[in-house]
Amino acid sequence: MASIPVPVPEVSPAEPSGTKIGPVVIAFAIGTAVSFGLGVYGRLHTPSGHAVNIAGFSTGAAAKAFLASVVMALVLVQTVTAMGLYGRIPLRGAWVGTVHRWSGRLAVLISVPVAVHCLYALGFQTYDGRVIAHSLFGCFFYGAFVFKMLILTRDDSPNWALPLAGGLVLTGITALWVTGVLWFLV
Amino acid sequence: MKHRSPLFTLAAVAVAFIIMFTVDVLAGPPGASSAQPADTSAPPAPTSATSPSRQVSKTAATTTSASASKSTEESMFSKKVVYAGHTDHRSGAIAVAVLGNQSAAYFCDGRSIESWLRGAVEGADISLRSKDGATLQASLDGDRLKGTLKIKNDTLKFEINEAEKPAGLYRARGSRTTIGWIVLEDGSAVGVQTNGADSTPAPELHPENPQVTVNGESLDAQPVNGNEDL
Repeated sequence: MASIPVPVPEVSPAEPSGTKIGPVVIAFAIGTAVSFGLGVYGRLHTPSGHAVNIAGFSTGAAAKAFLASVVMALVLVQTVTAMGLYGRIPLRGAWVGTVHRWSGRLAVLISVPVAVHCLYALGFQTYDGRVIAHSLFGCFFYGAFVFKMLILTRDDSPNWALPLAGGLVLTGITALWVTGVLWFLV
Repeated sequence: MKHRSPLFTLAAVAVAFIIMFTVDVLAGPPGASSAQPADTSAPPAPTSATSPSRQVSKTAATTTSASASKSTEESMFSKKVVYAGHTDHRSGAIAVAVLGNQSAAYFCDGRSIESWLRGAVEGADISLRSKDGATLQASLDGDRLKGTLKIKNDTLKFEINEAEKPAGLYRARGSRTTIGWIVLEDGSAVGVQTNGADSTPAPELHPENPQVTVNGESLDAQPVNGNEDL
C-alpha cells in the first residue's frame, strides 16, 4: 500500500474559494469545551436546592417556565428572520437582520437566570430520561451558542457553518423547552 | 473581515452568568455559600455554616447505618409523588413531596404551628430538615410512608398514604404572608399562614379554585413538588 502523493485540498471543491475550515473547527472545540465544563460543574457541585426567587411569581419553577417560554418565542422569531436572511421566505430589508440580532441577544440574556437556577440549585441530574436529556441539552445549548457567536466573528467560514450553528442552538432550546416547560405544564 | 459584536454578546452573557451566580450565592440561606464548588473539599464548617443539603446528608448518614455505608442510593420512590395524612393522634397534618432525589415536606397543626422542610432521598429513606432545626426521617413501607418528625421538643410519628389529586401539598406566597395547606384524602384542607413571626390558621382552600385573599391581596395556591425552593 504505497502512498501516492495526492494533494489534499484545504476545503472541499464545492465550497467557494477563500473559505477556511480551521476557525470553524476551533470554534466548535471551544463550544464543546464550554458544554463539557458546564456539565462537569453541574455534576460535581452540591446542588444548593435554593436560588433567588424572581419577584412576581408564586414559585421559582413558574418563573423559570415563564422566562423559558419567552426565550422559546424569541427563538421562533430567530428562526423566521434567519429564513428571511437566507431568502427562504420573502422577508427583506435591513430590519430583518436587526430583529434577528436583538431578539437573539435578548433571548440568551433571559435564558441566563433560568440556566443559573438549574445549574446552581439543581445541578446535572440523571434520575430519569427526561432529566438526563434536559441536563445534557442545557450544557449543549450554551456550547452551541458559543460556537455560533465565534462563527459570526468571521466572514470566511464555509457557507454551511452558520446555519449549522443556528440549527444547533434552535435544537438545543427546543429540546430544553420540551423537557422543561412542557413537562412542568402537563 | 472580522466582526466584534458577537464577542460583546458573548462577554455580556458571561457577565450575566457571573452576576446571577453571585446573587444566588449571596442570597442563599445562611451558610449556602459552602455549597460552592470551591468549598466542597474544605473541612466541614460548624453546623450553622453548612448548607441544608449537606446537613441533611450528614443527618442521614448518622441516623441510618444503611445509608452511612452507601453515600448515594437509587431512589425507590416514584419519580413524582406526594404523601399526605395526619400525624398519630391527629395532632397535625403532614405532607411529603418527592421529585427525583429531592424532597420537600410540610407539617402544620391547623392553628399556629408549622414547619417547611427540605431534604434528599436515599433509596427508600428520606431525611429532611427545616431552617429552624426541625427534622423528619421517613421510610417507604410498601406504598405507605412511615416516619418521625422532631419539631421543637415534640416527636410526632406518622404513617401516611400517597395523595391522589386534589389531595396533596399546596402553598401560596404573598408579599408578607406564606401559607401552607395539606389537602387530605377526604378533600379537607389543614393549613397555617405565617406573617413574620405570627402564625394563624390558614384561610379555607378549595383546590379546584385555589385562590385566597389575605389582607386584601389575592394569592394563588400552587401544588408543591419535591424540588421546591422553600
